[in-house]
Amino acid sequence: MLLQQLVNGLTLGAVYTLIALSFSLVMGILGVLNLAIAELFMLGAYFGFTAILAQLPLPVALVAAMLGSALVAIVIQKIAYEPLRDAPIVTPMLSTLGFSIILQNVATNVWGSDPLQLTDEVLPGRLTLGSVSISTMQLLVMGATVALVAILAFVVQKTPAGRALRAVAENRDVARLLGVSAARVTLLAFVLSGVMAGAAGVLIGMHYAVITPYMGVDIGLKAIAVMVIGGTTRIWGALVAGPLIGIAEVMTVAYGGSQVRDFVVYGLMILILLLRPQGILGGSRSEQGQRV
Amino acid sequence: MLEARNLHVHYGSIAAVRGVDIVINAGEIVALIGANGAGKTTIARAIAGLLPYRGEISFEGRLLKPNSAEHNLRAGIALVPEGRGILAGMTVEENLLMGLYSRRDKAAGKADLAEMQERFPILGQRRDRMASLLSGGEQQMLAIARALLSKPKLLLLDEPSLGLAPKLTDSIFDLIADMRAKGLTIMLVEQKARQTLRAADRAYLLETGRIVRSGPAQDLAADKIVDETFLGGSVGR
Repeated sequence: MLLQQLVNGLTLGAVYTLIALSFSLVMGILGVLNLAIAELFMLGAYFGFTAILAQLPLPVALVAAMLGSALVAIVIQKIAYEPLRDAPIVTPMLSTLGFSIILQNVATNVWGSDPLQLTDEVLPGRLTLGSVSISTMQLLVMGATVALVAILAFVVQKTPAGRALRAVAENRDVARLLGVSAARVTLLAFVLSGVMAGAAGVLIGMHYAVITPYMGVDIGLKAIAVMVIGGTTRIWGALVAGPLIGIAEVMTVAYGGSQVRDFVVYGLMILILLLRPQGILGGSRSEQGQRV
Repeated sequence: MLEARNLHVHYGSIAAVRGVDIVINAGEIVALIGANGAGKTTIARAIAGLLPYRGEISFEGRLLKPNSAEHNLRAGIALVPEGRGILAGMTVEENLLMGLYSRRDKAAGKADLAEMQERFPILGQRRDRMASLLSGGEQQMLAIARALLSKPKLLLLDEPSLGLAPKLTDSIFDLIADMRAKGLTIMLVEQKARQTLRAADRAYLLETGRIVRSGPAQDLAADKIVDETFLGGSVGR
């Protein structure tokens, strides 16, 4: 029972990790909370659903969802962020909030407000290891998350574009002095966050939940909690906090009841904010150089 | 090589630079000297393209656009900012690689990176170390090496000796002389007026955003009024 819950928690945590990374990328580089990321996740689920219904193979559906959400992320960057770049920090946050509500509205008009759900036949099969039963879909969720995080880590840590991203995150002026176009890097951050959120959307849409225009709200807020718990100043904090929150949530439901599930997740977030505001992996303000 | 005409820079309603004219000829070391708040750093940042300004700055006959640092770097202007501007979250090597970011000739860039690590052996030895763990002098060398990797024609150095022990300050000034000997044009912003005038060909002395004196560095160093106002007295010390 415990092992089974651990596996379930890790699966849920994998999805939280992807969305929290999506929030962290923009937060770490621009210091802005892009609230429309929750809707990029929701749209990813719809894009994936549409692709699967069109008989496209799963990997194609995943890529389509990632690209679709990345395109919407570009639109958000151009309309809701870029014109407000020099405004007080709360202004672009509010404009992304407005954008997220518009996206919910668009989704309602395109796909309707009735919940959509994929059948288990999309990816049937289970793997049984002793008392633990893992569905093929769970393996896909965890495997895809590990692969995407590895690719993201490679891009951020090892490529010139990733170094430019980290340079802007640490010191925008110095990055510009080194020839980095802050505008281009900002766009890259939005695209990568869209890719991550889109992937999370299609994975969770296939595995767990019914897809609705409002599915991003609950999971988006949890992903923000994951980002805060991991540390808003370091994106990789989500790698620790995502599985932690996933496991805590599943265990709470299994042993305490679903009525206290959110109490545990958000209670943990408040506790972290009180005791270690920089998060589990976050550095001090003076170490902002290591944000990304 | 560079000409700034009637340069004005404001921070909100505060005028930091007020109608400054500066000329830098190829191969020169030109110094900007003045107390805190005189406008030296603001002028360097405006030339590097980090600030909006009024007036004109032309480089090699072409008018520069205000606030366009990426383009100015590609044109050949590099700034080592005050406080060094080291990317603390990156290793020494990653910082150096950022110096190559704007270059298209990647193969030549790699060769230059290897050469830079030979020229500054300490950076080669510590290439995997986080830049934040370097000493102040090493960080300054890293900042200069990183700027040199972008292959500038004009290097702007903002207070390169700030916070360094006298011995390290001397080695930074030796490095400046060495870079000029290799043909680089340098604009040096400093508060250490005496040492700077010894290193420079020409200098501009600034007070509250205006140039109050300019000319050959040797003449300025020997000028009694300059000596009393900027160098703290006793000419020729």
